Amino acid sequence: MSFQILINGISTGTVYALIAIGFALVFNILKFSNFSYGATMTASAFIAYFLVASKGWGLVPTLICSALAGALISLIGEFVGFRRILKNHSPSTYFFVSSITLGSLYEGLVTLKAGTNFYVYPNFFETPTIQLFQTVISKENIIMLVISVAALLALAFVIQKTSIGRAIRAVSFDRDTAQLMGINATLIIQAVFIISGIFGGLAGCFLGIKYTLTATMGSLVVKGFIASVIGGLGSLTGAVIGAMLLGIMEAIFLSTMGSGWATIASFAVMLVFLLIRPQGIAGSNVQEKA
Amino acid sequence: MALLEIRHISKNFGGIKAIADFSLEAEAGQIHGIIGPNGAGKTTIFNTISGVYQADSGSVVLSGEDITRLPQYKITRLGIGRTFQNIRIFRGLTIEENVLCAFDPQSKYSVFGGLIPTPKRFKEEKRGRELARKYLEVVGMADKKDERPENLSYGNQRKVEIARALMCEPKVLLLDEPAAGLTPTEVMELTDLIKRISVEFGFAILLIEHRLDLVMSISDLIHVQNFGETIAVGTADEVQHNQAVIEAYLGAEQ
Amino acid sequence: MNLFLYVLTQVCITLVSVCGIYILTGLTGMFSLGSAAFMAIGAYVSGLLVLNTGMNMYLAFLLAIAFAVCVGYVIGFPVVRLRRDYISLVTLGFGESIAQLILLLSQYTGGAFGLIGIPRRVNVWIALIIAILVIILTALFKCSKYGRQCIAIKSDELAAKAMGINTSRVKMIAFLLSCAMTALAGCLSAFNIGYVGPTDFGWKKSADWVIMVFFGGVNSLTGSIFGGAFLTFLPQYMQALNKYRAVVYAVLVLFILNFKPKGVFGEWELTPKNMRRALMRFNRKQRKVKER
Repeated sequence: MSFQILINGISTGTVYALIAIGFALVFNILKFSNFSYGATMTASAFIAYFLVASKGWGLVPTLICSALAGALISLIGEFVGFRRILKNHSPSTYFFVSSITLGSLYEGLVTLKAGTNFYVYPNFFETPTIQLFQTVISKENIIMLVISVAALLALAFVIQKTSIGRAIRAVSFDRDTAQLMGINATLIIQAVFIISGIFGGLAGCFLGIKYTLTATMGSLVVKGFIASVIGGLGSLTGAVIGAMLLGIMEAIFLSTMGSGWATIASFAVMLVFLLIRPQGIAGSNVQEKA
Repeated sequence: MALLEIRHISKNFGGIKAIADFSLEAEAGQIHGIIGPNGAGKTTIFNTISGVYQADSGSVVLSGEDITRLPQYKITRLGIGRTFQNIRIFRGLTIEENVLCAFDPQSKYSVFGGLIPTPKRFKEEKRGRELARKYLEVVGMADKKDERPENLSYGNQRKVEIARALMCEPKVLLLDEPAAGLTPTEVMELTDLIKRISVEFGFAILLIEHRLDLVMSISDLIHVQNFGETIAVGTADEVQHNQAVIEAYLGAEQ
Repeated sequence: MNLFLYVLTQVCITLVSVCGIYILTGLTGMFSLGSAAFMAIGAYVSGLLVLNTGMNMYLAFLLAIAFAVCVGYVIGFPVVRLRRDYISLVTLGFGESIAQLILLLSQYTGGAFGLIGIPRRVNVWIALIIAILVIILTALFKCSKYGRQCIAIKSDELAAKAMGINTSRVKMIAFLLSCAMTALAGCLSAFNIGYVGPTDFGWKKSADWVIMVFFGGVNSLTGSIFGGAFLTFLPQYMQALNKYRAVVYAVLVLFILNFKPKGVFGEWELTPKNMRRALMRFNRKQRKVKER
């Protein structure tokens, strides 16, 4: 395997890790798969495009705008889609429908504004590549790698070391008990949605840079889902490992059989993985309590 | 050989011993009480017998057949019926349908019959409804068969759960805190019901319960659990005078 | 073609797949975001069979459905043992893969141009008859032992296992039935329009179906059918609405989820018994009005 492929794989993997983490955070705290996440990415990437990038501002303002948009959309989604369902103690299926409906709504709104056209972020660098030893690496890939790793490290710090991180872990483990201990679960859930939205916004922007902006690009969220299944549903570490593996795997598939087959191959890998080791690499066990 | 033999089962959860070396032999017609403070691993014993969890070591043998590693639904079909500590009745089904659900796995018609009403489907459905009626009468709920379970009182929901467990035609019935949340009158009714079904159907009953009066009055043998370990086994009298039990459990409550 | 007949055909085809989604989601509580991919399989396989071999259309339908069920088995096998979330994740991935596959196999499928020249042999009456048949089958399935077991699994999977229900098997049966029905809808659609395109089968379509089921009432077949019919009719007759269809749908359903979580119909079913009851209630009201 050439160094070039490895670098591409890792850089794709970190973007997938952002998606998988944002997804896993919400999964952990509310125990459902948030399917509006893909459309959240799309919507925030588009907001960043229309508000910032199209005015010729640089990469960093675009990323910040996208992350903020993601946080805002995610927070609104929590309020509109999930708050009352949680309060009514409705069955978990309602979270699911609510999340697809929200996804459908965001994607519908983006389609109203952008139609079915393609949009491309402007080139953020004058010389798009650098030469390192014998390999050509695009600056965008490096930027993605650096920012994603920074975001992941920041999250790890927040979750492990701060009081809000402890509260998030407590609410994820057992919401009712945490509430009895005086933790404001609603606030923590909002915080998780904001963090998840920030990650979604960053990922959406990166995906827009890497590929093109379309109203349906949210379906790339599938990669994040595959990564979290491989890593172990609900495990944050597992999500990162799964995403890196998937990124590298895809880079190899991509160089050997082309992009269409790569999608299918990674799906097949997930199926096989579920057969052999359904609990994922991290071995998280999401079993119902008896 | 006893009807149900539990041989030295243990179960750990992340280093915490939920069950340490639990053994039990139950004959048909016997009632075994399992008592102990909260967190003593009582429900885990039930979950391990009925296949929700797999025992780390030891084995469970039902009429000579090792059922330790079988999937949950197979264990039920071989003859272990159970109720749950926090009532788990199927919402969205009427009471009769709830009870029928326990018959359906034994009902003999194929997917084809599920889509098109064949004579066989009529016959089997009729047999199921007759059985459901019989067991609902045993628990005294036959007149409410078309109601929704969520509209029933706690005590009546328990009865439906017991009827549903009876519908599995068990050889061993596991009752997990059946008296929890019941009014004193309901507890009396329940005590009668347990005694009656034990005589009428002749299966072994394992009973987890916090109300000691109930357990003491109907159990043939009582197992006292504390922190996963069995600290005493004996009749109600023996257990009440056992020093270890008084210290660990009864003493703590006084 | 008369607009009404055209819309009616669309409604019938949608209802066939909505019945499939009802069995999967309404009865069993599983969500598939790849149902539309099975519709694609039905449409492409039946279309290709007739175009290439000239075989009887109904035989092609049966073969296409059989093929979809086999694919469904491969997809479902790893996931029915697991938590119900997994089936949504896996089917979503499957939908994306099928979309790619259709593009990659362009020499057979026509790639991005789609499959053209399929004989338009499904008229409104055929669609209507098949839709009614499928609805009857679904109703019969609901009141069979399988229907009950599905509802038990939706309500409490662990308790269902403890009652001796082989949950993996029942979930698989529900999943395969829903695959078969969506594939049938695909067949009907292909032979009605005479064309199959690769872009019609994304997750949005599957999501639309789920939304229809929830709009009418997830626990009621009557409600699901009403939801399917209403949400297909509405945008066709309000052209102005068509552009905002997705948004309007979503907002409607969000309102329902938040304020009337059981959907328009709740658990009410259109059975002779319930009809009589409703009629009696209506008569009583009428009498009261007269007495006043």
